Amino acid sequence: MGKGEGRFIGRTASFEVYPSVLAPAVPGAVEPERKLGPSEMRFNYGPSTGGLMESVNFSIDSPGELITGIEVNPYYKTRKLRISGQKPEDALLIMERINGFHSASNSISYILAVEDALGITVPEPVSMRRIIQIELERIRSNLTVMERLCSAAGFGVPHNMLAALREKVSRIIGNATGHRYMFGTGKIGGTDLSFSGIAHKLEPLIDEFREINESLLQSKIFINRLQGNGKVTDKGLIGPAARSAGLRFDARSDSQSLPYERLNFQPIVRNEADAFGRFMVRAEEIFSSMGLIERAEELSEGSERIEVVSPEIADGTGAARVESPQGDLFVFTEIGNFVIRHIELMSPGKSNLEAFRHGSVGTIFTDFPFNWESFGIWISEVGVEIE
Amino acid sequence: MTSNLWFLKGIKKGVLTEKFPAEPPEEPPLRPSVMEGAEYSECPVEAIDAEGKWIAGRCIFCRRCEPHFMPTGNQDLSEVRNFSPDAIRKSFYIYPLDSGSCGACNMELLSIFNPQYDANRLRIFMTNSPRHADALLVMGVRTEGMENVLREALDAMPGPKVIIAMGACAISGGIIGTMPLDKEKVALEIAGCPPSPYTIISAIMKLRGD
Repeated sequence: MGKGEGRFIGRTASFEVYPSVLAPAVPGAVEPERKLGPSEMRFNYGPSTGGLMESVNFSIDSPGELITGIEVNPYYKTRKLRISGQKPEDALLIMERINGFHSASNSISYILAVEDALGITVPEPVSMRRIIQIELERIRSNLTVMERLCSAAGFGVPHNMLAALREKVSRIIGNATGHRYMFGTGKIGGTDLSFSGIAHKLEPLIDEFREINESLLQSKIFINRLQGNGKVTDKGLIGPAARSAGLRFDARSDSQSLPYERLNFQPIVRNEADAFGRFMVRAEEIFSSMGLIERAEELSEGSERIEVVSPEIADGTGAARVESPQGDLFVFTEIGNFVIRHIELMSPGKSNLEAFRHGSVGTIFTDFPFNWESFGIWISEVGVEIE
Repeated sequence: MTSNLWFLKGIKKGVLTEKFPAEPPEEPPLRPSVMEGAEYSECPVEAIDAEGKWIAGRCIFCRRCEPHFMPTGNQDLSEVRNFSPDAIRKSFYIYPLDSGSCGACNMELLSIFNPQYDANRLRIFMTNSPRHADALLVMGVRTEGMENVLREALDAMPGPKVIIAMGACAISGGIIGTMPLDKEKVALEIAGCPPSPYTIISAIMKLRGD
């Protein structure tokens, strides 16, 4: 615990998270409720209706077409998860379901925090295989965001092409890990997974994606829906939203939890700060993730199962931060006698919801789906209470 | 590929849709699938009962029971109850409701419309309103905030109100919590964590008596 230095990443119940230090949490300022202006109306969209992937409610202020104010309530589907009092390996089954679509990022950040607490250092090939898991997840997640942007634009053909690619990636993940969402694959202190030959299987898919992406970038109709839409430049941004706004923020380059420096990782940074910028960062990160997978596979030492390293201590506190497809994902855990005593989580969804909200004001209704989908927000990780 | 004639680009891709269900699944995932085995008593979600019988609707496929129980690849993980297929004769419109899911079920439901599966060709569609729905498909555990929403969606549906519970959370609460539905009112249970697109499609077809 110390004084906050560097970029402010986010806040848990007890901490403010900075790249190399945790500071005591200071409650954020509460914005006063917006009052409706002359001729404005307020109406609800959600929590359960067509067009929404998950249950979430939007309360939108508008005089007719312009969005003048918006509140987002992600807490309708809040799940209460009991982690404290569980053995670390039992709690893992819950942690990987905080966000099922980003299960690898959630489970690996938790595993790394537990290993930090118990003084476990895993061999490099284990870390490389974990990086492959997270980068596979990023490729699929970014494809999904782009697929849904095409769907919002009514671009049926590229939408279906990207959906087909997503399915192919899911099958590659399923064949390599035994589960399409990597549930049940995490191991504290080691790994059972092997990714031998994974880059070779991905190559044709990445080529296919390149063709689709190049064609999308020639479509003025598509690009016009994204450019200037949902512009946000706040310093509080994380993940692709930050990198699209010229901010070089990426846990892969400023967190020591996973050895990305061994892979010569460089963040993708652009300057548009709008839905188009977020789209472009995601597209370019698909190629970047492919490169990381190729290099990590070389360092992951074949297909052998890597034995679990046993902890030498039974008590301790640990923390870890990884770059999930949405941005920084931080886990703090306190373990006593091999039992989780306390856990705190900072999911990227919360920061991205704020960014979405700020970026929505001044846009019009037809901009809404593009702005929303460009953030790739998962409500499951926001609407969750961990005890 | 530089021009923007999407139609031609789509045609050039050829037919990606598989022959399933007329033919077996081309690439069925190992997990989830029907588990077979014996003698394991430490299941974290009690998906193996005292007699050693495996219960699909409880299983989260965590692999703790392996190798005592092993996945078979069989995608038939559904059970139809208290429902006559005569009630549904034509296209089948589903209203999905996320009661408290992790998102994986949501993605697999969406995946049944991917080109590889193309559920529309099997007369399976999604609708944006419960008023136009033949079935309410519920994913996730019971959550306080979604209780009223679930009730209102059920009230808004026309009869017969077909209720589908999809995934371990909706069927039994899984590892996360408690189930959001009255089990007696559920016509179709689609087990899995999450169920694969093959399982979802075959389950709906089983419900319709196809």
